[in-house]
Amino acid sequence: MAEDLIRIRNLKTHFYQGKGLLSRVFGQGLKIVHAVDGVSLSIKKGSTFGLVGESGCGKSTLGKTIFRLVEPLEGEIIFEGRDVVKMNQKDLREFRQKAQIIFQDHFGCLNPRMTAGQIVAEPLIMCRGKQVSQRSIEHEVVRLLRAVNLDPDAAVKFPNEFSGGQARRIGVARAIALNPIFIMADEPTSGLDISTAATILNLMQDLQDKMNITYLWVSHNLTQVKYMSDDMAVMYLGKVVEMGRTSEVFNKMAHPYTQALIPAVPRVSSKQRKQTILLKGEIPSPINPPSGCYFRTRCPQVFKRCEREEPPLLDLGGGHFCACHLYDGH
Amino acid sequence: MSEPLLEVSNLTLDYNLGSRKMRALDRISFTLGKGQVMGVAGESGCGKSSLGLSIIGLLPTVAEIKRGEIVFNGIDLLKLPEAEMDKEIRGQKITMIFHNPQNALNPVFTIETQMTDILCVQDKYRNPGSRKRRQDFKRQAIERLKSTGIADPDARISNYPFEFSGGMKQRVIIGMALSSGTSLLLADEATTALDVTIEAQINRLITELAAEYGTSVLYITHNLAVLSEISDRIMIMYAGRVFEMGWTESVLGDPWHPYSAALLESLPGRQPRGKRLHSIPGYVPPLDQLPRGCSFHPRCRFAEDICRRQVPPLIEVSSEHWSACFLDQKRGRDTWQRI
Repeated sequence: MAEDLIRIRNLKTHFYQGKGLLSRVFGQGLKIVHAVDGVSLSIKKGSTFGLVGESGCGKSTLGKTIFRLVEPLEGEIIFEGRDVVKMNQKDLREFRQKAQIIFQDHFGCLNPRMTAGQIVAEPLIMCRGKQVSQRSIEHEVVRLLRAVNLDPDAAVKFPNEFSGGQARRIGVARAIALNPIFIMADEPTSGLDISTAATILNLMQDLQDKMNITYLWVSHNLTQVKYMSDDMAVMYLGKVVEMGRTSEVFNKMAHPYTQALIPAVPRVSSKQRKQTILLKGEIPSPINPPSGCYFRTRCPQVFKRCEREEPPLLDLGGGHFCACHLYDGH
Repeated sequence: MSEPLLEVSNLTLDYNLGSRKMRALDRISFTLGKGQVMGVAGESGCGKSSLGLSIIGLLPTVAEIKRGEIVFNGIDLLKLPEAEMDKEIRGQKITMIFHNPQNALNPVFTIETQMTDILCVQDKYRNPGSRKRRQDFKRQAIERLKSTGIADPDARISNYPFEFSGGMKQRVIIGMALSSGTSLLLADEATTALDVTIEAQINRLITELAAEYGTSVLYITHNLAVLSEISDRIMIMYAGRVFEMGWTESVLGDPWHPYSAALLESLPGRQPRGKRLHSIPGYVPPLDQLPRGCSFHPRCRFAEDICRRQVPPLIEVSSEHWSACFLDQKRGRDTWQRI
């Protein structure tokens, strides 16, 4: 079995509302947004880890916390044996060369005043600038653009001249520029047409095969996560409610939330229209999460204990975890 | 097939942007039966939304309908004077759910104001001389909110849009669009911005309300999987033309057009993990630079000489299933010549 590249233990990221002067003057209390609330998971080297959940469940915040773009409240993030949370600026800089992000907003993450070539070259100049010549950087940019199936002529164009799929590719080229071993892809195909999304998925798989990259695949598209990932976790209101091998999670669907989420995904099947359990209501606010199990307000199988006690992540065997009192033997 | 409600024939629409002239819709013909749900699918820029906007008559001024007819309940909407359109059709018989629920509501008015506004205007058109004021419709507005599944509608109706989540805003918009008088609902990417569990709720709501009121729905989306679950019939569009049309089961289960087949193959749900996805090479061409012949030929893996020269007509390839391609994929010969 492959060893773990990243191990996260009890990670918490909270945001504060009402910290400012005005709310202090007018006496409004401090509100805590429990964006990531005690997440533990590990990602194996060379694998793809899918992180799914509805918007507002904290999956993007979790991803950002791993890179310390957002500071965690507590917990540890062990990357290659070292705790990212405790790293100083210098170590952090080194870590961020090995770990890269593909951002969700494919135009928003490209500087409109820089050409595609400059964008892709920037990490190279930042990290190796003093040791390498202009010439070899240009050479490298061409190689990277080719690696993501873009024409080398694209280097002199500005972001607004590209289509959504091409802009995404530039984002990918920039992410792989420093030969990272870990990439977080945040909704890598959102806003793309079906066929374009397929080209991006193919490209990401090819890169993984060639460069042995580990992916953290953050998405609300379950079909895609099923297709791309080896392991996955389902998040709800800042907590992992179910985790395991992707095939296991899809076949066994232990948590009531997963049982509602997975069948809710529309599928192309000409045969039958399925009857699914529709969840009532929407995600509660992470400012005032419900007591006990966070999912209990929407859960069709809720019982007394759910209100009082928060369910721990139980091992159902074979590395399949689920946080639900239904699976607690007593 | 049920009685037709909407018959569109040969609808051709141009956008005149100065020197650039774009053909957004090219000879679109289809029929929508009463109580049917018709799905319109295609990649962005294929003319799906333009079709919806031409039916409800909300095209921008640069648009010009060259020819064609949109017959709704026996009336040609394109010949109807604007005043009549406002009075009888738009917002009354035909309503639309727009793209983006975040932008479709006015942020500075309460939900109550916006909902009673519509009811009040509808009433003025229906009963000229009616002296009812906006406040008299509050009860009715609350009923509508309730029917779309919003909890505590009595209190929520006095909220502003920002106090609602995306899914709830979409419910408000559906509540505005669906009433007993509506016979055609145009839903343009109604669930695109929503989460899967909310999307499932909204789609269930649309189909249930449609069934209850006998409303026909034209459901515009790029998500074929959604269509497979809610639509009776499907129309696949590409660069302003209809490429394939028929019953949902037959179009998605047994596609005839190479474009539809390629779209289905590029969905990750159908492939096992690790297997490469099929992707269509190239991009949808800009509408003012359409290639000659079949507009799909530069991206089509079966393209032949004839595809570069002539535009393939829409042919009924099997019972109530039309496809616009020279190539009969399955038999490997020209449907064109056979018929």
